Amino acid sequence: MDEHLSSSLLIALIGGIVDLDSTATWQFMISQPIVAAPLTGLFLGNIFGEAAAGLKLGLMVGTILQLLWIEQLPLGMNVPPDAALASVLSVALGFIAGRSYETYAEREVCYTVALLFSVAMGLLGRSLDMFVRRVNTNLDAWVCQRVEDNQLWSVAVGHTLGGFLTFSKAFIFCFLVVWLGVEPLKYFTQTLSLKHSSGFIVVQGLLPAIGFSVLASMVLKNRQEVRVFIIAIVIFTFLPAKIWLGIGAALLYMWRKSAEGGSGA
Amino acid sequence: MRNLSRLMLARIAFRSFFLQSSWNYRGMMSMGFLYAISPALDQIHQSTHAREGAYLRHLEYFNTNPYFSSIVMGVTLALEERLSRGEIGEDIIHDTKEGLMTACAAVGDGLFWDSWRPFIAVAALTFAFGNYLMTPLIFLALYNLPHLYFRFAGVYWGYREGTHVIRSLRGFRFPQIRQNLRYGTMIMLAYLIPNHVNLHTPYLLTNLPLEYFYFGEKVVQGIGALFLVTLGTIAYRARIDVLMISFLLMVCALVFFHWGILI
Repeated sequence: MDEHLSSSLLIALIGGIVDLDSTATWQFMISQPIVAAPLTGLFLGNIFGEAAAGLKLGLMVGTILQLLWIEQLPLGMNVPPDAALASVLSVALGFIAGRSYETYAEREVCYTVALLFSVAMGLLGRSLDMFVRRVNTNLDAWVCQRVEDNQLWSVAVGHTLGGFLTFSKAFIFCFLVVWLGVEPLKYFTQTLSLKHSSGFIVVQGLLPAIGFSVLASMVLKNRQEVRVFIIAIVIFTFLPAKIWLGIGAALLYMWRKSAEGGSGA
Repeated sequence: MRNLSRLMLARIAFRSFFLQSSWNYRGMMSMGFLYAISPALDQIHQSTHAREGAYLRHLEYFNTNPYFSSIVMGVTLALEERLSRGEIGEDIIHDTKEGLMTACAAVGDGLFWDSWRPFIAVAALTFAFGNYLMTPLIFLALYNLPHLYFRFAGVYWGYREGTHVIRSLRGFRFPQIRQNLRYGTMIMLAYLIPNHVNLHTPYLLTNLPLEYFYFGEKVVQGIGALFLVTLGTIAYRARIDVLMISFLLMVCALVFFHWGILI
């Protein structure tokens, strides 16, 4: 089978499974960008014999998309942008199109353009989600009618059809975008002159600040916490960037606050 | 007297993983709820007429937190058994289910969506920025510990304790847990901001002696990141869309790059 067709089918399968997890089933959170993107990178990298490169690209994309849409939740009627599909497509398009470039800078630009394109695809994915939910509403009416006629088997059929629709939507969408999108992406990246397009690497480095802002808005509730937060940022600016330092400090602060709460009660 | 076996309850917990497969704008999770508990309903209600009534009863609107849904399922099944023995009326099931789904939605959404997911996401991001390739596995393993616990234990509690399950849930002290998770998220975020917003300017390279360069870079990065995050937070709190903020940042970054202020 043609290599491009087989990788498009693989991405479609991953997209379908990952999209099922985002709301329809399981909700183990494999649909979160921090998981979905590295997973795609790993599988795709395996096909081309570059598993480590795929995984690293997946982590980079997953980190940015996780931060960008961290506050988006599928609560009640709210349908958030499809971060799962955006993650899968961003890695797939970036990895496949990026393989044709020789230099690091060209590949990075290609990854960033793929990321921006996939954010738009995530928004389109939201519209498709809403369409599936409308079809499900018709399915629900059909099931209610059947149950009233004592055809109880219709519940399992209707419910399974709903899940099948979600999978099919993501499968077809991912397949078409990857199958048709790689060449236009390559063409677009080539039209950017390298001098100007290197600015995209600067953009990539600054984008996490947006997610950090959203998170800060979510967690900071009063002035005292803002003060503690700024002091902590200043301290961490001067300390070496060690992961265990960040996690250790967080656990220590949680333990201290917990003890304060316990003694105060 | 309880008639449902542990195996049946485990089967229901397993089916609850598919709760939202047919999410729709009328009943929301109603079809998923009915699908999950239908094997137990078939066992509880032997006559065709009672079974059909039970199915229609649970096709009514249902919406709650998916991880806490198994608690509602357990309680509902305990009540269905009592209904089959003629101890209660249908309205009790309706009212209890409605009250419980609202309570579970409030507690579950607050715990999982508002606290646990951001906390684990920030912890995973800390590893991801450090290029730990096992990050996705760390995220999945940590996130799903309480998820699977509530999915499987919830249906047993609900079935065993019935409407008293609310008292057991109170024992978890969810508000304190949420507050502590928020504090943890805040400190990890404070670690990420100065270390992982990549902001570089050529002026340090040209104006600073090499031995002070690394220190200068860190300070500029820390101050710049704090400034950017403050601006972003103000914009987000002013209800500007995240994608619009990202777009503005992108334009500014490209302009500064063009002028040679950022590299």
